[in-house]
Amino acid sequence: MEKLLLRNVEKENSHTIEVYLKGGGYRAFQKALKEMSPEDVVEEVKLSGLRGRGGAGFPTGLKWEFAAADIKEPKFFVCNADEGEPCTFKDRVIIEKDPHALIEGMLIGAYATGCRYGYIYLRGEYPIGRKILERAISEAYQKGFLGENILGSDFSFDLYVHSGAGAYICGEETALIESMEGKRGEPRIKPPFPVNAGYLWKPTVVNNVETLANIPLIIERGGKWYSQIGSPDCPGPKLFPVSGKVKRPGVYELPMGTKLEEIIFEHAGGIVKDRKLKAVFPGGASSSVLTSEEISVPMDFPSLAKAGTMLGSGAIMVLDETDCIVNAALRLIKFFRHESCGKCTPCREGTDWLVRILERIEGGRGVEEDLEVVLSVCETMENSFCGLGMAAHNPVGSTVRKFKEEYLAHIKGGKCPFRSS
Amino acid sequence: MTYDEFREEVRKLKEEGKYPSLKSYTLPALWIAEKNFPCIDHEVMRIISSELGVPLVEVEEAARFYAMFHTERKGKYVIRVCTNLSCMLNGSYSLLEELERLLGVKVGETTKDGLFTLEEYECMGLCDGAPAITVNEERFLKVKKEELPTILKKFGWKGD
Repeated sequence: MEKLLLRNVEKENSHTIEVYLKGGGYRAFQKALKEMSPEDVVEEVKLSGLRGRGGAGFPTGLKWEFAAADIKEPKFFVCNADEGEPCTFKDRVIIEKDPHALIEGMLIGAYATGCRYGYIYLRGEYPIGRKILERAISEAYQKGFLGENILGSDFSFDLYVHSGAGAYICGEETALIESMEGKRGEPRIKPPFPVNAGYLWKPTVVNNVETLANIPLIIERGGKWYSQIGSPDCPGPKLFPVSGKVKRPGVYELPMGTKLEEIIFEHAGGIVKDRKLKAVFPGGASSSVLTSEEISVPMDFPSLAKAGTMLGSGAIMVLDETDCIVNAALRLIKFFRHESCGKCTPCREGTDWLVRILERIEGGRGVEEDLEVVLSVCETMENSFCGLGMAAHNPVGSTVRKFKEEYLAHIKGGKCPFRSS
Repeated sequence: MTYDEFREEVRKLKEEGKYPSLKSYTLPALWIAEKNFPCIDHEVMRIISSELGVPLVEVEEAARFYAMFHTERKGKYVIRVCTNLSCMLNGSYSLLEELERLLGVKVGETTKDGLFTLEEYECMGLCDGAPAITVNEERFLKVKKEELPTILKKFGWKGD
């Protein structure tokens, strides 16, 4: 397949505006600004069928339409670059190798929705990305793509980088906004949604990095063209970061709906040392596990939901036959315990109890009844305040259901069968 | 950096006019402190509070919430070892143990000479280079246990 999202990343100095312009960069923005009304842009994005690539999969065109319809001023356009889902590193590639695609996507989005100011909320763990983005923004100012009355039009847009400081929860859009306001990153109740009441309670569009990198392509080649790539009900190219026990870990661009099996075995080279595949988390740490019998599933939002899991960020984490599933689930739930903001009880207490019980099982001190308790804690966590708690139990509950024998082996054997000592 | 110089830096920050609300400068101000002081202490928080007109307790809440801000004294170099899933599957815990041994500290502690703080850290998005560690802003990918002394020496480690 023709590389679309990764079209520039192999080029030397792909992060500079000269290289981006030479490859046709900022043409889509100029087309939108000079030949299209903001409404036309929104319609084109709606026609494309693009769904947000941050994890929730909300239709981007619809989000823009809601924001454009709000009359409160000023409006803010925020790029969510707080890529914190474990084993997700796709946005990092765009930030470091093609920052101008991101800026161009934001410019088009800000024009379509009437936003005057923009912020890129970048996770604190990407200091290299920060330098690259700041340089790219200053280049865009110099060329007149940012600032007041851009390219002689009525459209003005200022763009800044806002650095996070290490908090997974800030990837949740309302927690991100709280963090931009200088506070602890705790989620807000929805509604109101950020498109109507976001940063400083003003209309705020929050879009993921990869989502925005799709926008110049849609404007340049048309929403209809885009809608024909990949899965019909969830179209477009998708970046899949693959890691864990594969021979060639990395970010692979493939059409939405590519089979998981193909991604792991053809693109990522299969399992290290040609071992057997044991399990896959197909959409980051918050997704339910899939067994080796379930990997023919197409990688898109509806297909994975039907398979009882989710696409999330598209991060594919692969375990082989020598890896302990209890230990893997334990590590992931420890992550969520660390990242739970503590605001609501089901998430704060649920993650903590799951860690304690799984530590006991992994340490050979578990009892069979523990497994029922685990599943009941998972069920209670569904009532958490935000998506973090609602999904945090997935790696635990799903492994207990699908790898029950392995949990029982720990309990009955009084030790982890994968540890030598 | 002295406290007066820090106050001056926060004032300069405000003049940039990047945010329509003073409170939004809290994180950028904390970042300046994180980079220029051994820790974000109460005097630093008081300066931010008075310059931005934000209640002291809210500055402290923010300083303590985010994993990258240190409210306890840290070393000149912070070593972060990712132990999340892909790094764990590729041996990150043995790197962590080896670093504890080489530096003579436990996770979370700082060496006596104040040079290194060792941290077990969550995913830093370097999973294609698992196991990954960072030293301040520098990345080291696909790290092998044997390479750790060479990495440490780059930052002035005196051991062998």
